[in-house]
Amino acid sequence: MLGVQKMKFNSYHEPETIEECIQILDEQGADAKILAGGTDLVIRMRSRVFKLKAVVSLNAIPELSEVTLKEDGLYIGAMARLMDVSKLELLTDAWEIVKTGAGNVSSMQVRNIATLGGNTCNASPSADTVPSLVVSGAIANIIGKNGPRSVLLEDFFTGPGKTVLAKDEILVSFKLPNYADKTGAVYKKYSIRGDTDIAIIGVAGKITLNAQGEVVDVKIALGGVAPTVMRVPKAEAFLTGKKLTDQLIEEAAVIASESCTPITDARATKEYRTEMVRVWVRHVLTDAAQEAQKN
Amino acid sequence: MQNKSNFIKVDCEVNGKPVSLHVSPDQTVVDVLRNELGLTGTKKGCDDGNCGACTILLDGKAAKSCSMLIGQVRNKKITTIEGVSNGEILHPMQQAFIDTFAIQCGFCTPGMILSGIAILNENPDADEEEIREGLHGNLCRCTGYVKIVEAVEIARDRMNAGGAKNEI
Repeated sequence: MLGVQKMKFNSYHEPETIEECIQILDEQGADAKILAGGTDLVIRMRSRVFKLKAVVSLNAIPELSEVTLKEDGLYIGAMARLMDVSKLELLTDAWEIVKTGAGNVSSMQVRNIATLGGNTCNASPSADTVPSLVVSGAIANIIGKNGPRSVLLEDFFTGPGKTVLAKDEILVSFKLPNYADKTGAVYKKYSIRGDTDIAIIGVAGKITLNAQGEVVDVKIALGGVAPTVMRVPKAEAFLTGKKLTDQLIEEAAVIASESCTPITDARATKEYRTEMVRVWVRHVLTDAAQEAQKN
Repeated sequence: MQNKSNFIKVDCEVNGKPVSLHVSPDQTVVDVLRNELGLTGTKKGCDDGNCGACTILLDGKAAKSCSMLIGQVRNKKITTIEGVSNGEILHPMQQAFIDTFAIQCGFCTPGMILSGIAILNENPDADEEEIREGLHGNLCRCTGYVKIVEAVEIARDRMNAGGAKNEI
């Protein structure tokens, strides 16, 4: 049949504990891939982007799906399904942006199976969940042969499809640190065909105001315009300490568009993406500032 | 001869019946349904997660069977289009598709019907916008979706009026 590609791998592992999982990954080394929901992995294996010998499924380790509210923040298991994350009641106020990100990934069928950790570890520059997690200050909790470690999510990615995870490591959970009062956070995805489409660009913004209405903290994260999701420190520094006006927001949006390094692909040209960053950063910051006044 | 040394055992339930599979782990769910179990009502359209023709229900929730390895359905309940009717009595979603003529070539129909059922499983009062959002992952190249959305709305109203219950 035309276009049919057979994928081939030798072994399928379904460990029931994290310890067992790490041991298998350590033994299999670079020949193994980790299976979460599979909605990216399975497609890529069949199109032979990935050639591998073993698949290690995380689906039989229940603790990887746990969601726990602790004193220092909300912990979301890496295997939490995107549909569940998009409806998670614990994600209130400034954390709602994480719901928005998850709800923007593809279709109902995909969100039912795909996971928050999978969308992250797939490390697509245009992953919808990542900009929201980055501006929320999410921390990736990782475990491997040498024990656990934590990495700020924005430092988790090293390139398209690449992360800091060693061969024997898995992502266990995300920690969302508590947010301050008067914080607003907004994610907007710009795509031609809505959720089902991959984002041309994605923009997340989080603003915290003080009692005087001045910006005490601002984070901007851009998806689809650089090899990894990127922050815009120059625009953030420009806005910090100021009372926001339309003029200042526009200037920050221009800085953001000058900071990114998009490519031209099937969805848009680099010039168009650059221009859209300016437009959507403006929308996102305007809405986030309004949210911050309310919260 | 195929080397069966790496085959895995997968116990699951398909359309209400327990099934014990002994299969190569590199098979997708759609391929096992069609080739091993002969359930060819589940269609293979794009085979890369875009078109939704291969939609099945997994524990009552819609999923794309081309994007899942067979090991992922271990201990789960699968419903395909073959398991939707109650013997000769069609499911209200099937009947509504017939009554509104929400079918042209028919290739997307099994996936559309299962997505329609999944939408109402999740939200029995889904409005037009919610139905359209739910059907976003199912492509139809013939109808333009108007009749399909109408069919789901009619099925919703009939089921809510106390007709046949959605028990999948």
